[in-house]
Amino acid sequence: MRAFEYLEPATLAEASALLQRCGGRASVLAGGTDLLVQIKESHRQPAHVINIKKIPGMDVLSFDPAEGLRIGALVTTREVETSYAVRRHYASLARAVTDFASIQVRNRATVVGNVCRASPSADSLAPLIADRAEVHLYGLHGSRSMPVEAFVTGPGKTALGVDELVSRITIPAPAPHTGKAYLKHGRRVQMELATVGVAVSITVERGHCTDVGIVLAAVGPKPLRATKAEGVLRGHSLSDALILQAAHAAMEDARPITDVRASAEYRREMVGVLTRRAIAQALEML
Amino acid sequence: MTHAVIGHSVKRTDLLDKVTGNAKYVADMPMAGLLHAKMKRSNVAHARIVRIDTSAALALPGVKAVLTHENVPRVLHAGSPHPRSASVTCDQYILDDKVRYWGEGVAAVAAISEEIAARAVEMIEVEYEPLPAAFTVEDAAAPGATLIHDREPGGNLVLPPVRIERGDVERGFAEADFILEGEYEGGRPTPAYMEPNVLTCRWDGNGNLTVWISTQTAFMVRGIMAEVLGLPLHKVRVLVDHMGGGFGAKQDLFQSEFLCALLARETHRPVRMEYTREETFTGGRTRHPAKIWLRQGFRNDGTITAREAKVVFNSGAYGSHGPGVTNVGTAAMVSLYRCENVRLEGRCVYTNSPIAGAFRGYGVVQTYYALDIQMDEAAERLGIDPAELKLKNAVREGDIAPSNHPLIGHGLEACIEKGMEVVDWKAARARTLQQQGVIRRGWGIGCEMHGSSAYPGIKEQGNAIVKMNEDGTVVLLTGAAGLGTGAHTALAQIVAEELAIPFDTVSVVHGDTDVVPWDIGAFASHTTYMVGRAAQMAATEIKTQLLARAAKQMEAEPSQLVIDNGVMSVVGRDGPTLTVREAVMPRKGLPAAQFVGTATYHPTKSYSFAAHFAEVEVDTETGFITVKQVVPVHDIGKVIHPVAAAGQIEGGIQQGIGHTLYEDYQIDMQTGRSLNANFVDYKMPLAMDMPEIRTVLLEAAPDPGGPFGAKGVGEDPIVAIGPAIANAVFDAIGVRFRHYPIKPEQVLQALAAKRAAEVAA
Amino acid sequence: MRKLIALEINGEPMEIAVEPHSTLLDALRDDAGLTGTKKGCDVGECGSCTILVNGTPMNSCLMLAPEAHGCSLTTIEGVQASPDTVHPVQEQFMRCGAAQCGFCTPGFVVAAKALLDANPQPTRDEIRFAIAGNICRCTGYTKIIEAIERAAADMAGLPMTEVTR
Repeated sequence: MRAFEYLEPATLAEASALLQRCGGRASVLAGGTDLLVQIKESHRQPAHVINIKKIPGMDVLSFDPAEGLRIGALVTTREVETSYAVRRHYASLARAVTDFASIQVRNRATVVGNVCRASPSADSLAPLIADRAEVHLYGLHGSRSMPVEAFVTGPGKTALGVDELVSRITIPAPAPHTGKAYLKHGRRVQMELATVGVAVSITVERGHCTDVGIVLAAVGPKPLRATKAEGVLRGHSLSDALILQAAHAAMEDARPITDVRASAEYRREMVGVLTRRAIAQALEML
Repeated sequence: MTHAVIGHSVKRTDLLDKVTGNAKYVADMPMAGLLHAKMKRSNVAHARIVRIDTSAALALPGVKAVLTHENVPRVLHAGSPHPRSASVTCDQYILDDKVRYWGEGVAAVAAISEEIAARAVEMIEVEYEPLPAAFTVEDAAAPGATLIHDREPGGNLVLPPVRIERGDVERGFAEADFILEGEYEGGRPTPAYMEPNVLTCRWDGNGNLTVWISTQTAFMVRGIMAEVLGLPLHKVRVLVDHMGGGFGAKQDLFQSEFLCALLARETHRPVRMEYTREETFTGGRTRHPAKIWLRQGFRNDGTITAREAKVVFNSGAYGSHGPGVTNVGTAAMVSLYRCENVRLEGRCVYTNSPIAGAFRGYGVVQTYYALDIQMDEAAERLGIDPAELKLKNAVREGDIAPSNHPLIGHGLEACIEKGMEVVDWKAARARTLQQQGVIRRGWGIGCEMHGSSAYPGIKEQGNAIVKMNEDGTVVLLTGAAGLGTGAHTALAQIVAEELAIPFDTVSVVHGDTDVVPWDIGAFASHTTYMVGRAAQMAATEIKTQLLARAAKQMEAEPSQLVIDNGVMSVVGRDGPTLTVREAVMPRKGLPAAQFVGTATYHPTKSYSFAAHFAEVEVDTETGFITVKQVVPVHDIGKVIHPVAAAGQIEGGIQQGIGHTLYEDYQIDMQTGRSLNANFVDYKMPLAMDMPEIRTVLLEAAPDPGGPFGAKGVGEDPIVAIGPAIANAVFDAIGVRFRHYPIKPEQVLQALAAKRAAEVAA
Repeated sequence: MRKLIALEINGEPMEIAVEPHSTLLDALRDDAGLTGTKKGCDVGECGSCTILVNGTPMNSCLMLAPEAHGCSLTTIEGVQASPDTVHPVQEQFMRCGAAQCGFCTPGFVVAAKALLDANPQPTRDEIRFAIAGNICRCTGYTKIIEAIERAAADMAGLPMTEVTR
């Protein structure tokens, strides 16, 4: 790789100050599983690399039945994958971070890193958005938070200011009677970039859908909330026919492109198939 | 008959170093003063180089030399110069003032680090004058198309069309009860070996060049480098120790080898060039994409009256193994299923695409995909079991093979029958008829045959030198390459078996062109058959010398002695024995023996056979095809090392599943740019995608031309698995695919078309 | 300008001067002279560069050399307990024919050791899942999975049938 300055700040404040000083020519290094690939493939040429793994307090993964889940910036996807609380209460996220890469990468990659990379085919983004996750940003001018849905602004683009880092992600506690599922479409069983991803969180009371989140990955410049599909289900009694209708609506919500992995038509068709299957799987969890 | 050493899966001698990380591959070898070389590659598919400016690169600190077409020798040469073979296409320069495919090398840099070399490469400026590019064989072969190479026979053909005829095709078609005709197409898989191409070159003060290289053909590397660099052979030494896979594609020279040597000569330092993974695609070799038009006449009893086929192979930008692949792939179609009246034509066409070269299966993967699937179509037409039909038509003892020799034994029939029994074929197929639901399963059979040796295209020879040390241990010197197949272990087993000595008393010396006898290289599934036979013959010479010396000591005639596990006794005598060691060692008044045996074997050809039985699962909503289980049944004559043979079969199946369902190296059809030169988007089946494989090895038709009757196995598995999968898909969902790779979207489209046709009917 | 890092490799404390922008893979191979770990793709897709960092399998091509400061690494060279013995995984790889060209083998052996250290009795599916990120082009994976199963049985003291002699 081309040479860069390597920095190891000891605090968030120091990290922010460094980011500001480097004026947009610095990259943050946590897991490194995206950054190093981007540098090697010349998609990014940072003059400075800031390793944030020495900063204390960012490696906390904790769950509270009222507050929900807290994922620190340095929490690896492997920790999230193996957490009992995540598997129980955020099954779609657990699935997404299990399917997305090899064990070698999962031992290193961070959920926050995956979010900040903001790849259109990122697996973790869809369940996070479906569950209304929030990112918490730290900057020289203070902290702020926003929904992940708003944080990702385009392919590979986020709302991060030059001096800002994400310190953690929080996800609200799930409502009772909520089932979750994430299905990823990829030609091989593992080691795949999603050609389509569908995350579903659905809350059902007495056969009635009181709340639902359906988010699509890899069929738009950023993760897409399938609002039409959600509208079909929310507030209605569930039936196979309604689920099928929602799946068709999701196909309309999708904005897929054609590339070397798949054609737009095929992706759209798979959105329908996967949405139907994901809803069914989420309902089975109830 | 059980043997003492062969037929047993002895512990391979190379594996300890491999599992401990001690095995040194070329990139592992430290060298004082080593420089690192990188190539600059074109970003246009067809263009003249108008200007190339290396001044900025040369000025970068740490850069020691830069080469372009302006300062390298201009020597027209062939990249795969098997002597006296059909495979010689003299169409390459080290660097030309023209590029013919996207990614072709236009310059090379040597620097003190890879990073500096990479930066220097970016600083080289090239101005191109684009030329019209042709990416399809249709465009390239069209009248008036721009010539990619200005050479005979013209028309962007790599070689004159190959034409083969037997019998009377017109009469055959006239006698047919029905005729099947179809077009079949093969895509562009690549070998994707795990060790990227790499070599190190170093000159000494006397103008001797040493080359450490990952190659299957050390003597070819020596020969062609000597020719192009203008050196006699004894001044070029090629060393190959461990290499990380080749599958055929490391059987070629193109640019990097010469450039590395020239950089080393100019800088007076050793230079290493290591491909990136991306370069193994852009600078490597692919399988030849192919189109096969096949027409056959059948009687109602299922026998074939006539066969006519036209094959067109896409050579990519250079000829490489085009002639060999065209000859072998086309000629293969005279056989496999019996037919007396055959007319075949094979062509190979230049296009401005990635270079196609040698890859396991060598043209036969493509042509047998068509031939076997059409047989399945005939079974469908006749309403009979495809396995029964293939059994009926399978070539057998006495039938004339593509090499124009009669076949030995009933190997293919044995494979088909055995496989039908193992998978309970009839019951398995009956079950697939009853299915409902989204997920469908099906069973298919694919058959193949493949020759051990490149005869008659190449007049090959296997050489071996065996010497016995004064303690009775033995050394085999062989030029046979160690790709990782376990070849050297098998050769040592053969020598040990022939001499009736323990396996662990035989060692193998290989991989140094200054020391070992000439070898054509590891390909064409010929190492066990050809070099093994030579090793056996050389061992026999030693045995004769050994028995003569021992006979004197044992007061008997040589013909009365037997050796068993290194111990000699006299037949019919209950007396003392003599070990081999005792027989050869020095004694008072008797010097140590110095036994050396040499042998050269000119093989003709032997054929191995296989029938693969595959079960697939099709998800009719996503179009995904998954292979659930494979029972590959192989006749390879005498099995020397069962585990190594099974390893070849299972590995070949992985590659074949990849070809058929997953792998395709694609280019942009407007610009020729590589679209998936990486492991993310060039998808090989991984551990979780592989089926259960239950390998069955038969010794149904041993070939007396091979050592102890052994034949080859390396290429057979990759040929049989493809049609087995395609035919299984037909069994599962009633849709016939005649191409590979079969993509999920195509499955959905075909299913939709089938539903629409059923509704309309 | 090189940075001095202090770490433990295969149980030995070491100090290596590394370029900050070098990967750990390149530092191991070029600066520490440990060439057993291989570079198959350099972008974390093939697993040939797998090492253990504090006992956990990772792709060394996706780590910067300075990140290894203070870590305990295990590379293929450290899998065998001593030069005269081999780890059961290594023994079974040899016996079962799980290595052919051997280039991917160090990555698989290290990944398999990590699996068995964490999960001594894995199912076949768990084995496949643990090696999903390691690519082999020679063997078709069948004998690799078999070797890992047998190594697990070996380590648990369970009886096995002989594969090779």
